[in-house]
Amino acid sequence: MAVPLAISSVTLQRPTVEEGLLAEEGLLEMVCQGELSLGWLAWSPRDRGLVMPRRHERLADFPEARARLAERGWPVRFRATGGTPVPQSPQVINVALAQRCRVGGSAAHLEWGYHRLGDPWCDWLGHLGVADADLGPVAGSYCDGRFNVRIAGRKLVGTAQRWRRVRGCRDMALLVHGAMQVEGDPAELVAVVNDFQAGIGDPMRFRAERHIALREAIPGFQPETLDTLLARYRG
Amino acid sequence: MTTPITVPENLWDGDGEGVITAWLVDDGGQVNQGDLVAEVMVEKAQYEIEAPVSGVLTIAKQEDEVVAKGTSIASLET
Repeated sequence: MAVPLAISSVTLQRPTVEEGLLAEEGLLEMVCQGELSLGWLAWSPRDRGLVMPRRHERLADFPEARARLAERGWPVRFRATGGTPVPQSPQVINVALAQRCRVGGSAAHLEWGYHRLGDPWCDWLGHLGVADADLGPVAGSYCDGRFNVRIAGRKLVGTAQRWRRVRGCRDMALLVHGAMQVEGDPAELVAVVNDFQAGIGDPMRFRAERHIALREAIPGFQPETLDTLLARYRG
Repeated sequence: MTTPITVPENLWDGDGEGVITAWLVDDGGQVNQGDLVAEVMVEKAQYEIEAPVSGVLTIAKQEDEVVAKGTSIASLET
């Protein structure tokens, strides 16, 4: 039976992929309803799935691609944020931050949202001894964008957002999400995305060497260290 | 009276374009002020667009069409 995830806990939670995604949507809705002005979730799934926005369902070969991935143990799940397919597995840690923002100020810009999540992440990596962490695009990586967290130009964290109006006023609620591969070979996850690409008849393929898992940069990383990242999002 | 539904101007910096990822109401549908009617994606961000007034929806830009800031994507007849 699903147990609700604890909001703003500094302990890494272990839901299923579906439960984690639902919890993120619930967190955004809490901000929209005025129950929270800031909150986060840190979770690592205990199962696997290939997660994508629902618009991919409109692709002609989607049903076959979905069935093919499900047979291989990678069921397709849908998320509320933008972007393209991203694998979720116990090797991945997710951090989702939801925050109320005033429209008309700089907070209304998508760039602000990405920096709100990504700058503390880079700072945290620096604190752990990673000297060359920054935000930027990574050509050849899956679900690329302008605001990945990179280590030496390789993608560590993919980021995406959703914006929704707060009920009864002009403020907006932001959900910004980051997914970080912590352990394992990035080639395994890249292969899952490339399998989907083949299934939908898209010739684009992604390159494993453009990604990095955290333990390649920090071999002794322990998930308990995540609390020092989450502390950076307070206030 | 006709009221346009536009892509917000202050959502992102620069001249990048977005794409309409979903219409949540059919063309010709009746909506109430504040109802979610569409989603636009830009920079891997999904932005929910609400009806500014109540009325009957006429869609001008279809799903997967590219849109710039300030583009009128639909109108509401009240």
